[in-house]
Order: sequence, then C-alpha cells, then structure tokens
Amino acid sequence: MAVTALAVALVLIGIVGLLSWQGQQVAEWVKQRVGEVQVFLEPADDIAIERLRTQLVGQVGVDSVEFISTEQAAVIFREEFGDEADVFEDELYLPASFRVRLDPDHAVSDSLVQFQQRVQSWSKVDTVAFEQSLLTRVERNVRVYSMMGFGIGLLVVLAALLLVGNTVRLTIYARRLLIRTMKLVGATDSFIRRPFLVEGVLQGLLAGLVGSFIVWLLYSGLQEFVVGLGAEGWPAGSAFLTLFGLTMLGVLLGWLASWIAVRRFIKKVRLS
Amino acid sequence: MESTLVELRNVAVSYAGHSGERLKVAGDLSLTLEKGEMVYLIGPTGSGKSTLLKLLYMDLKPDFGIVRVGHYQSDRIADKEIPYLRRSLGVVFQDFQLLSDRSAFENIAFAMYATGKRGRAVKERVMQALARVGLSHRAHAKPHEMSGGEQQRACIARAIVNEPVLLLADEPTGNLDPRVADEIQKVLIKLHKEGMAVLMATHDYRLVKEFPARTMALVKGRLVEVDPETL
Repeated sequence: MAVTALAVALVLIGIVGLLSWQGQQVAEWVKQRVGEVQVFLEPADDIAIERLRTQLVGQVGVDSVEFISTEQAAVIFREEFGDEADVFEDELYLPASFRVRLDPDHAVSDSLVQFQQRVQSWSKVDTVAFEQSLLTRVERNVRVYSMMGFGIGLLVVLAALLLVGNTVRLTIYARRLLIRTMKLVGATDSFIRRPFLVEGVLQGLLAGLVGSFIVWLLYSGLQEFVVGLGAEGWPAGSAFLTLFGLTMLGVLLGWLASWIAVRRFIKKVRLS
Repeated sequence: MESTLVELRNVAVSYAGHSGERLKVAGDLSLTLEKGEMVYLIGPTGSGKSTLLKLLYMDLKPDFGIVRVGHYQSDRIADKEIPYLRRSLGVVFQDFQLLSDRSAFENIAFAMYATGKRGRAVKERVMQALARVGLSHRAHAKPHEMSGGEQQRACIARAIVNEPVLLLADEPTGNLDPRVADEIQKVLIKLHKEGMAVLMATHDYRLVKEFPARTMALVKGRLVEVDPETL
C-alpha cells in the first residue's frame, strides 16, 4: 500500500516536474526569439563589418550573431511578402544587418534596452531594434504562467506528500502493538525506528523504480505524439540521470515519511 | 547496600482528559518497596492504581514529588534513559498484549531481541522463562490457540525473561476466572519467593486475602497500609 502511494506520488511529481521543465524551456525559447535584436548598418566595407561582428560577439550575454547582407535581406523580404515585393524587385534598398540572439538570462527587456543603447552609439551602426512591446507582453505572460505552474506543482507535490505521509502513518499505526511492546521491554527509540526506516527506504526504492518506469513510458509517449516535445529531451541531460534522480527522491521520501511517522508515534504511544 | 528499590515521595499526579483539562489522580502519594518484597496495591476501579504503576515505568511523570526506581529518579531521568529503566522492570497487563502473529516462544524472544540480545542465549533464556511460568509445553502456540491463563503466563514469561528486579502487574487476573486467577497468583508468588520484587495492582480482595502480603490501599489520592484480613 505504501509502495503504491509512493509510486503514485513520484509519478505525479515526475510528470509535473518534466512538464514544468518543458514549459520553462519553451518559454525561454520564445523569449530568446522575441528578444532578437536587429542591428541595421550604414553602408560599410567588409573590414568594418567584421570588426562590428567581433565587437558584438564580445558583448556580455550574446549567444549568436548572424550577418544578413543586403542581398540576403532582399531574399527574406521576397519570401515574406511574395508578389507584393515585386515593386522593389530591382532595387537593393534594404540595409545589411546583424541578427543578434542573447542567451535566456539576458533576453529580457532591461538588458536589451541597455544593449540597444550601447550598440546604437557604435560607428557604422544605423539603428538597433527589437520587439520591446511584444517582449514585455511575453515576459508578463511567462511570469503569470510560471507562477500558476509553480502553484499547481506545489499543490501536486503537497498532495503527494500527504498521501505518502498518511499511508505510512496508517501502516505504522497498524503495528502499534509491536511498537508498544518494544517500548515496554525497554527498546530504545532508535532501535524501534530502525526497521521502519529500513522498510521505508526499501519501499521508496521499489516505488522509485516503478514510478520511474511509468514516468519514462508516459514521457516517451508524449514525446512521440506532441510536436516539439522530443527536441528538448530530458532534464539532467539524459533519461537515465533524470529517472535515477526520481528513484532517489523515492528513497528519500520513503525514509522521511517513515522517520516522521514513527517518531511521532513513538512519542505519542502509551504503554497501557 | 541500598535495600529500598522503589520510593515515591509526596507525589501528585494528573493527566490530560479528552477535552484537554487536567484530571487529578493523586495528591500526596508516598511508598517504599524493598528489594524482593511483594506488595498489593488495592482500590476501586478508577482510584489510580494503574496511574501509580505508570509512574514507576515512567510512562507518566509526577506533577510534584519524586519517584525513584533503583537509581533512576523522575526529576533527573532523561527521556533516552527511560528504556534502560524499563529493562530493569517487567510489566504485565490485564489484557495480555501479546503479538498475535507470533508464538509464545517468539513473543518472549522478542523482548530479548528488542533489547539487542542475540544468539543461543536467547533460546536458553526463553525456555527457562517458559519453564518458570509452567508453559514449556505451549512454547509454539500462538495467542489465539492459548487459553487466557496460558496467555497471561506467556506475558509473565516475557516480563521476566530479561531478569528484572521488579515485576509490575496491573490487574493480571482481571480477565480470568477464579481458578485460573489463583494459578496466575501462584506463579507471581513463586517469582517473589525466588527473589523478585512484585507490585501487583488489583481489586480482587479475595486473592489478597488468600495470598496475603503487604497491602496498600489507594484512598482519595493517598496510600494507606491495610491489613488484608480486614478486607
């Protein structure tokens, strides 16, 4: 019974954890894309362009820098506007630019504004632009969804811990006569606790293995059917490490729940 | 060498009722028990006999006064020392409290395992304890296969297997018919004659008169010595 409750708790924690992690990855990806900075250039020769690229790459928080020549800009323009781009067909009027992507920690409004102001003052730079209003909206939404996700995750984890705690408490209560007898004949508290803790650890290990297997099945299935989910893979770099962590969490939970329940019970139990 | 085994000095004790209020049990208890002595503790139901025994195995601590058992004293004992006090005591209850899934032998051996004893000595000591209470032939019977008298003998064997200096018996014959009660009483008298101190709480005055010993009555929260013949 305790193994089932622990396994259910671990599946809930595992799935909520993985989905939260996925959500965070997606949010960061969106922020990074929305937070792309376009550095439009004045007419410049190759040496100046290369110098600017080196300067940009050297800036704190810059993840990637991509040069877009006037020709490439025209191609992109034609791809995006189709037939309507024909009116400008013979004229290379779009400026060359750098598309700068910052890492997730720096792809936030404040950092981007500072970055914009700094780069704007450089020679051969015409305009530095990014979607500030969209980014602000995205940041606000990410914050709201993160808080909601955190709240739901917290509730799930609390429910899981309560489920485990109550189940272990019931299991120990069922053996109250055993504990009472041990106390009566002079067993020390640590001696009484020991078998329950060993049992808790073993139950946690078994529940961890079962729970990890179920999480692996569910998450692998989700990765098959939900587009884009598979691309991010698993937290901690591999499925093995993630599920090993979940199994160890099971061991910890089993030990902790047993420790709390048996400690309380030993204190409370009366001998007659 | 100190001959007094148990001492209660001006003890007042109360416990928390169901609604949290303090219920006073005794106001001024004083008692001494010598090594190897047998004493009856009598009084009507609810007079505080079990509470007094709880004070001795320190399941309850006094509000005032001092309880001393051997070299353990209620106002100085740390919680972690209480198990060691209990190893010097044997306790027997009215309702047996045997582990239902274990045989008499296993129930008694459990008392030794629980105090860290292992090996061949456990088997020898358990068989000795069973022999002392006349239950060797039922060593492998489970509690539901034993009569009330046999279960109480198993409890006594469990209580004495660690060779305590004091046996506390809380209404040990309360659930038994008079004939079986007499048999159990004879077992307790035998242990007393072998040198063990016995403090037995009972409201069975017939037993006290039939097997006389020093008798203390709990009257209105005080202990008064009475002559068993006058009961």
